[in-house]
Amino acid sequence: MENKKLVFGKMENYKSNFKELPEPIKQFGGLIGIIVIIFITFFILNKIFGEGDELVAKMKLEEERIAQERKLNKLISSLPSGILVSFDGTDHFKLSEELYEAVCKATKLIPQRAIMGANFLNFRAHEIYTINGNKIDETFVKWDKEKNKCFAGFVVSGNNVGVDETISVSGEALSFLSTGIDTRVYFIKNF
Amino acid sequence: MEILKKYPKLFQWLFLLIIFFALCFAIDVPETYKFIRGQAEFVKDPNQSTFVFLGKEVRYYAFDVFWRLPPLLGWLPIWINDSLFFLMNDWMPMEFWNEDTQEYKTRPLVLQITRNLTAFMTFLIELIREILLGGLETIVAFTSWDWIDANPWAELPGLPWTIVAAGSAILAYKLGGKGLAIFAGLAMTYISIFGQWKPSMQTLSFILVAAPLSFIFGLSLGIAAFKSKRVEKALYPILLVMQTMPQYAVLVPALVLFGVGDHAAVIITMIVAVPPMILLTLLGLRAVPPEVIEAGRMSGCNNWQLMFKVLIPTARRDILIGVNQVIMVCFSMAVISAFIGAKGLGFNLLLALNQLNIGLALEAGLCISLIAILLDKMSLAWANKQVDYFGNLNFFQRNKNSLFFGLIMIVGIALAYFGSIYFKDGYNYLFEVPHNKGISTADFWNKGVDWIFDTFFVYIKAFNTWLIVEVLQPMRALYLRMPAIATIVLVVGAGYLIGGTRSALVVCGLTLFIALSPWWDRALVTTYMATFGVIVSCIIGFTVGTLCFQNKHSTKFMLNVCDIFQTFPSFVYLIPVMMLFGITDTSVLIAVIVYATIPATRYTIEGLRSVPSGLHDAATMSGVTKFQRLFKIEFPLAFPHMMLGLNQTIVFALFMVIIGAFIGTEDLGQYILKALSDKKGAGIGLTLGICVAFIGLIFDNLIRTWVDKRKKHLGID
Repeated sequence: MENKKLVFGKMENYKSNFKELPEPIKQFGGLIGIIVIIFITFFILNKIFGEGDELVAKMKLEEERIAQERKLNKLISSLPSGILVSFDGTDHFKLSEELYEAVCKATKLIPQRAIMGANFLNFRAHEIYTINGNKIDETFVKWDKEKNKCFAGFVVSGNNVGVDETISVSGEALSFLSTGIDTRVYFIKNF
Repeated sequence: MEILKKYPKLFQWLFLLIIFFALCFAIDVPETYKFIRGQAEFVKDPNQSTFVFLGKEVRYYAFDVFWRLPPLLGWLPIWINDSLFFLMNDWMPMEFWNEDTQEYKTRPLVLQITRNLTAFMTFLIELIREILLGGLETIVAFTSWDWIDANPWAELPGLPWTIVAAGSAILAYKLGGKGLAIFAGLAMTYISIFGQWKPSMQTLSFILVAAPLSFIFGLSLGIAAFKSKRVEKALYPILLVMQTMPQYAVLVPALVLFGVGDHAAVIITMIVAVPPMILLTLLGLRAVPPEVIEAGRMSGCNNWQLMFKVLIPTARRDILIGVNQVIMVCFSMAVISAFIGAKGLGFNLLLALNQLNIGLALEAGLCISLIAILLDKMSLAWANKQVDYFGNLNFFQRNKNSLFFGLIMIVGIALAYFGSIYFKDGYNYLFEVPHNKGISTADFWNKGVDWIFDTFFVYIKAFNTWLIVEVLQPMRALYLRMPAIATIVLVVGAGYLIGGTRSALVVCGLTLFIALSPWWDRALVTTYMATFGVIVSCIIGFTVGTLCFQNKHSTKFMLNVCDIFQTFPSFVYLIPVMMLFGITDTSVLIAVIVYATIPATRYTIEGLRSVPSGLHDAATMSGVTKFQRLFKIEFPLAFPHMMLGLNQTIVFALFMVIIGAFIGTEDLGQYILKALSDKKGAGIGLTLGICVAFIGLIFDNLIRTWVDKRKKHLGID
């Protein structure tokens, strides 16, 4: 009880001291007070919403990816339209080793023609593909660093006579189709 | 220490600026920050952060919060859109009788109300338009197409241009005398012979519907606010925001609610034109001396009689100044509403500017300016006209104007009939000069523009490049370089130093709204453009105003020039700058400077005029020179008034910057323009409009508070 009274007394003292201060000093104190409140609010908000270095790293990666993609797109637009092959013995445009790698990395699409071509040699995949309305679960085009080759493939899944099946078909992507805007896998050698 | 004690305010301001610059230098630009990087675009990107509020997902690029605050109000535009969609499509479906199909149809209540409202407005516009130009829609509305086929004589023929021109000259004579009558007659004749009659009458019909309705609503609300403090308090924030809200931004929600066309434009015009009417009604009623009210009460007036027989007639002048304001706002909106399909001169101007046909734009712009000046002068003359209650006039003296008009009707109809015989095989020029069949100076102006470009291209380009590279780009970069915390500290600190805690809280709230919206960067660009315009306008305005004040004739001349320029709708200012500088930021900024210089000049002159003449005499007797009198007496006393001019200059500059989006800027205005053509743009347009209004209100609050304090200090109030 005594302590409380003491505290109250002190507070009253501070209050009266503050009231006795000259107006400009009180105003200056108020200004500092407002600035401090703004700072504290920003600190709290930064704790809640600020993403800092994590975001910078994430965005840098994304920017690198965009830059890489732009570079590849530029390359693709410089290629002749039509079929591009990685082997000799045809009249089509023969890709050099560097170009083959670049085109592989830039390619994302596997059209139905290439899928059906690969399915010729995989009867079960062909069956699931046709029964389920030509549905493809997933496609992929990857550059294999060790083998220095481009691999493409797809996954079909569905119900075949009461049995749920998932089959992955993949093989070496030996030729591509250049449309001038993008490149697509033209032939998958899955044998 | 002595200096600190002597100038405590200066020290506080210096401290605030030091904190501001320290923050600017201490907080680096984040590596990933790029100006306008889809922050406000609502684009999807895997790097964006998201939050969900009220079921709305907001995507944004997260930065250090000290640099840019997250758009915590990003849900607002989406929520407004969804709410409007819900109101218009799903809320309270009801059965309504459909006259055309003769059966009940289910429609949401709000949709039905808005459609009925638009139908009513369309009817009113068509009615006035057909009286002026002829037509049959109004008759059909009361009868049917079959009836009009059987009775083709019932089609409204429209008034010949000669009657309208002479009628407006008579009205102008009655209100303002010979000078105004000659001007009215010449202006109308010019409009007719230059083939702009039809669009001009379309614009006029728009104003003749919007202005009376705005007057009725404004007067009623003004009376209600005068009678009840609660109504006044409820209206106050709306009036405040509407004063600084760009008219352009109000168009966007109107599109969703009322569709496209004249009817939507009339309704939105009313929303913009009612606030000044309310304010001036309130001002007029409050200025009525208590003795007059007391005299009314002592004469046994009841409340109704006191209002309509005593208060309103006493406040007549202020109320009629309100009518003048309503007419001018309506006219300005009639031009801007072209963006939502309103027909008339504004539409022709927009079309011409879109085609970069400066000659045609100039013709339409000149007609707009002439009608604006005419309407302004006529309504002001009406406001200033004294009613002669004691004149002992005979029948002819009382009705001479009506009799003259009757005579002119007969002569006009006779002329139109004669014209139909004389111009049998072509157009009846005595009835109406068709659009594109009048005299046209478009080619002349277009050649003039070409000549300007051919002759001065090098200089114009050099000036353009210099301005953009050396001045505008660095200034823009400087504004965009300000971290959010530094800006908020500066604005709130300024609010505190000028008006104390209350003012600090108000400006803090307004700034936070903008900072927490997804358009902070754009708002900074808007502020930079407005600031540039305001600085240059103030330099020109204060200098020209001060120089003109030195001579009575030049003061009068300059005030007249300001009056005339102020009547032009803001859109018209784009024509000459496009002529000279093409489509660049420079054009927008020069239009901003020209437009914003008007209030700066006017308020400087009026501020200097408000200095009591007694002080002049006292100063002269004390032996001060002209220069000393100007700097030691006139400027310090006129400064509060001049600061009100600065306030107006800022509002004018902001309006023009937003309109400038039409010829390409990167600020909030550009987004408002985009929202106009976006199906889901209502929420975005409205929020952007509020952001612009809040920028204006921040400056308004700071300046007004300072002016009030300064006036008290000087003992002016």
